[in-house]
Amino acid sequence: MDFRLGEEELALKEEIRKFAEAELPPDLVRNTVIDGEFRDFEFEISMSRKLAERGWLVMSWPEKYGGRGASLLEQTVYEMEIAYWGIPGAWMGISGIQWVGPCLMMFGTEEQREKFLPLIASGEKDGVWCTGYSEPNAGSDFANIRTRAIRDRGDYIVNGQKVWTSAAHRARWCWLAVRTNPNAAKKHQGISIFIVDMKSPGVTVNPILNYYGRHHFNEVFFDNVRVPASNLVGEENKGWYYLMQSLAFERRSIAPTTYGSLKRILEDLAQYAAQTEYEGQPLSKNPLVRAKLADLAIDLEVLKMFAFQLAWRITQGQIPVYESSRNKIMGDDLMRRGAITGAEILGIYSQADPDSEWAKLNGAVQGAYLGFPGQAIAAGTAEIEKSIIGQFRLGLPKSY
Amino acid sequence: MDFSFTEEQDMLRISARDFLAKECPKAKVREMAKDERGYDVQMWHSMAELGWMGLVFPEEYGGMAASFMDLVILMEEMGRNILPGPFFSTIALCALPLLEYGNSEQKTEFLPQIAKGGAIWTFALAESSGKYKASEVRLRAVLRGTNYVLEGHKLFVTDAHVADYILVVGRTGDGERPEDGITLFMVDARGPNVKMETIPTIGGDRQFKVSFDGATVPEDNILGTIGKGWDIVDFILQRAAVLKCAEMSGACQAVLDMTSSYAKERIQFDRPIGSFQAIQHKLADMLIDVEAVQYLLYQAAWGIGVGSPSPWQISAAKAKANEAYQRICIEAIAAHGAIGYTMDHDIGLYYRRVKAAEFAAGDTDLHREVIAAGLGL
Repeated sequence: MDFRLGEEELALKEEIRKFAEAELPPDLVRNTVIDGEFRDFEFEISMSRKLAERGWLVMSWPEKYGGRGASLLEQTVYEMEIAYWGIPGAWMGISGIQWVGPCLMMFGTEEQREKFLPLIASGEKDGVWCTGYSEPNAGSDFANIRTRAIRDRGDYIVNGQKVWTSAAHRARWCWLAVRTNPNAAKKHQGISIFIVDMKSPGVTVNPILNYYGRHHFNEVFFDNVRVPASNLVGEENKGWYYLMQSLAFERRSIAPTTYGSLKRILEDLAQYAAQTEYEGQPLSKNPLVRAKLADLAIDLEVLKMFAFQLAWRITQGQIPVYESSRNKIMGDDLMRRGAITGAEILGIYSQADPDSEWAKLNGAVQGAYLGFPGQAIAAGTAEIEKSIIGQFRLGLPKSY
Repeated sequence: MDFSFTEEQDMLRISARDFLAKECPKAKVREMAKDERGYDVQMWHSMAELGWMGLVFPEEYGGMAASFMDLVILMEEMGRNILPGPFFSTIALCALPLLEYGNSEQKTEFLPQIAKGGAIWTFALAESSGKYKASEVRLRAVLRGTNYVLEGHKLFVTDAHVADYILVVGRTGDGERPEDGITLFMVDARGPNVKMETIPTIGGDRQFKVSFDGATVPEDNILGTIGKGWDIVDFILQRAAVLKCAEMSGACQAVLDMTSSYAKERIQFDRPIGSFQAIQHKLADMLIDVEAVQYLLYQAAWGIGVGSPSPWQISAAKAKANEAYQRICIEAIAAHGAIGYTMDHDIGLYYRRVKAAEFAAGDTDLHREVIAAGLGL
């Protein structure tokens, strides 16, 4: 065993710190949910470009697709630091960097890789993706999707509806899960993945505002949308396997980013508690405040170990079975606790709008408080993740 | 980074597991809870022959020169099996500080004896408050001629009744800080004026009130420097916290394994209860707790092994283990239903040992305080 970070990783941390100090406005409102609110798309994309110029945006990809072949451990450190500093633009919409790219490298054609990967790696608007998974009747029961694709000579014709589609209003491309065989013996055996140009005729994007009024996700309608057959990913009707892989990639990145965001919040709260007096002594002397922040710090250390352990396993060429689910549960639970503990420490100020000057700590606590219930649902609820651990790690019978 | 054990470490784990499964079945654990000595002398000698006592000692003291991580692995297996006896008190609490702070005469006199399984040691720190703070050390030691004379008492001293020596934390002076003037004495446990009184415990382990009513200790039997003993206490508490964590980690894994097996076998409503999400999600939570303890433990142990122990990482591991071990046991009993509440079932053996483990080498409050201070609070 060895728990040291390498010199490259330590140097990277330092470079990102300098980058953040030079590039971020000091009053930047800190969104905890990654790029979640798309407040200022032009600013975000300008940051994406800068990250791309630095060779960071897709660092773990091979050079020929725009990366620099960094290790997954280095990438994990990068994700932690990006989240720690709250650097926007790092996820390019959210799908492309984290799972579309890696999945295309595993399952895509060379033509698809050469066309789409450099676009993502460039940090330009044409490299922004969304992901079409959920439908009105397919949430946790994801295999129940009904959006159909039917072959028509050199194309497929897509009809149906997606919902909760993050960043669809910004995306140039959609990573779309559809049904290609409605008669398959099992629901998950008739699913395929397509790459859909969001500028295609017949694609309609309607905003869905979240409960605090931000435009993060959308409903997307597909009305006789023509998709070239060359945009099918992998084999027809094998999409479920690719989807599970994409979700594992998505869940993997949650631990590093949650770790980074919360580490910053924890440090800021500790500083706030030291500087805020109540009844003649700093809040930091209050035993309850100390105990709560200490408990948070301990579990944050657990999350860090989980994040590195999963990354390490993947670098060993092993296919993680349950670790992504473990990390997602831990990350979501900690985000909840961090938000609630943070709000308790801010007290009456915790109700101030994160954008307002009353918010304290650049709105990070309120952002976490508003954001954590959504993050906990995205990419699989705690209930789904626990069932995955039960079934695939502990060998318990299927429970649903 | 590297999260893997070496092949040798895997083999050590397997051989320890095999030995304990054979020599220390749960029937033996139950028998020892009623035994006057509280451990199996024959097994103790077999363990010594396997090199367990001297695992991390240099060869010159009869040891195997293995790493601290190896000791962690061994003690995880002991915890998994709830091995009764004075291994923790002898090795974790006493032999490690002897190795670090003992002078060459002391090391030559005591360590080979321990490695052979020929001496049992224990450590006496807590007094009436039960807190591991220098300010709570009231036991006085005064020099008379070439001997120190000890006056005072210690509580919750484990395995004192079978110990040959007790490492006693006493006060020889008072300074600016409560830590000043603390000295560690190696006291003959069977000497005159050392009296023991059993403290019956829920864990079935052996703990004592030990009174020193004018017990004498030769000057030569001071460990380290007079008045500077609190540094050694810190050293002991850190190592012992990690090694107790190792026992707890093994115990947590055992309880999870037992509960997971039971959930697959126990049929209600015509199906295994493990197919119900109410049970399955409980088990998933337990698994996350188990792995949290493991990785914090390995990180802290690794730091010690490479010579840069991190008090913060050590405290994170012990605080987590304290809470997780208790939670896992309680959830496991719930998942078992009434059978888990019976004398005949093994789960109770683990649950009853939660408190002894929690207060060994620092309770949760103590370790949380280390974390809070590290946050700048």
